[in-house]
Amino acid sequence: MAEYELDCLGEACPIPLVKAEKKLAELEIGDLLIVLIDHSCAMKNVPEWARKEGHNVEIEEVDDGEWECVIEKVK
Amino acid sequence: MEREKKIEEYDVVIIGGGAGGLTAGIYSGRARLKTLLIEKSLVGGLATYTNEIENYPGFPEGTTGLGLMNLFEKQAKKFGVKFKGTDVKSVDFSGEVKIVETFRNIYKSKVVIVASGGRPRVTGAENEETFLFDKGISFCATCDAASNSGKDVLIIGSGDAAIEEGMFLTKFANKVIVSVIHDEGKMDCNEIAKAEALANPKMEFVWNTVVKRFEGGEHLENVVLENLRTKEEVNIKVPTCFEFIGYLPNTEIFNDKLNMTDKGYVLVNENMETNVSGVYAVGDVTDKFLKQVATAVGDGAIAGYAAEKFIAEEETYKSQILGKDGVVFVYDASEAGCRDCLAEVEKLEKEMQKNHCVTRVDIYKSRGLSDRMEIDEVPRLAIVKGGKIVKILGENFDPEEVKSILA
Repeated sequence: MAEYELDCLGEACPIPLVKAEKKLAELEIGDLLIVLIDHSCAMKNVPEWARKEGHNVEIEEVDDGEWECVIEKVK
Repeated sequence: MEREKKIEEYDVVIIGGGAGGLTAGIYSGRARLKTLLIEKSLVGGLATYTNEIENYPGFPEGTTGLGLMNLFEKQAKKFGVKFKGTDVKSVDFSGEVKIVETFRNIYKSKVVIVASGGRPRVTGAENEETFLFDKGISFCATCDAASNSGKDVLIIGSGDAAIEEGMFLTKFANKVIVSVIHDEGKMDCNEIAKAEALANPKMEFVWNTVVKRFEGGEHLENVVLENLRTKEEVNIKVPTCFEFIGYLPNTEIFNDKLNMTDKGYVLVNENMETNVSGVYAVGDVTDKFLKQVATAVGDGAIAGYAAEKFIAEEETYKSQILGKDGVVFVYDASEAGCRDCLAEVEKLEKEMQKNHCVTRVDIYKSRGLSDRMEIDEVPRLAIVKGGKIVKILGENFDPEEVKSILA
């Protein structure tokens, strides 16, 4: 049940998605991955992918144009 | 082991960020209620899938669904509404404080507004996802009729919605082709609609067929139907295919918690109240006549306003009604009988001097407080002692009895 942060600020699509996929694969079930995003395209495709995979997802705008996508690995 | 969930408290929690939920947020935020809106995917809801909205008032040049919803969101944020992008796992409406749970949080709220919307049922045919909504597969004739003027269109389904919308489309389209799963002459719609449709020269039926796959480039070009009897493939070249095979409200998490129709739509009254006090429902999730941005906005305004009233009355009820020992006089100022009784109550008030207070509740203004006291006839005199209503008396009350109960 560890928590990891993935800083993707300043990175455009598809880099955040690719990084998130890679990082999540290393995690244990129950771990949290927090992806920091400031690219509106990644703000859509990262949670969309995680949801499709069946993980728990929460996205929050922490600042104007800056989001935190929290993914709990469930399988 | 479960991760510990963070508890947060709100005045209003709105489940769903479409047109109805956002409008409810604008109203409750503007009423200075601490408001949270939870949306499972993108804020804006079903309207964001519509490329052009031409019938929403105030936009004579038309607007895009996404553009319009961005404006709604901006306006809600301006009034301090907080947004969470996650899905609701469960709700508990059994207590006075309503509980809404997501995977990381437990939200406690005085009011919950259900605005979870719905989704159209789809055929499940090959490539369907590629062409959904503005790419050629539509679920709304009202939305997409004008853009199909003079063209051929295809309809999937033979229920009331399919046939009635199909007839509407014949006013715009060159030809309306209907794919029906049943044998020739058999349809799911009512007999009147069926007779009219069969007699309409612009309508053409393809019996015993279902959709096998959708084809095209950027936009839909061809729909391949399969004849269930002969297994033959039928090509229908159309830019738009309308699917009318049902609509599924997103109400799974409210099963056994809210009263719904047998199809799963939440039942509400004209004030958007569900059967649970403090829980409202708005927009496409409710059992309603017309599903449009304009009607969802109306629902949202009512629920946001009702939420503010409900919370204010709840606070008054606790502090003014149950907060101190005394007498609560419930009356209707527009009724002569009540006004006579008021004189008696004022006499009693003088006799009791300052030992106990007398509160007046005029139901002519609002029935919220009297409903909470479970009083439906007036005039009535409720005696409150130790934070509870201990007795309710009628108009011929005995002042001595009142004094002795309070003593």
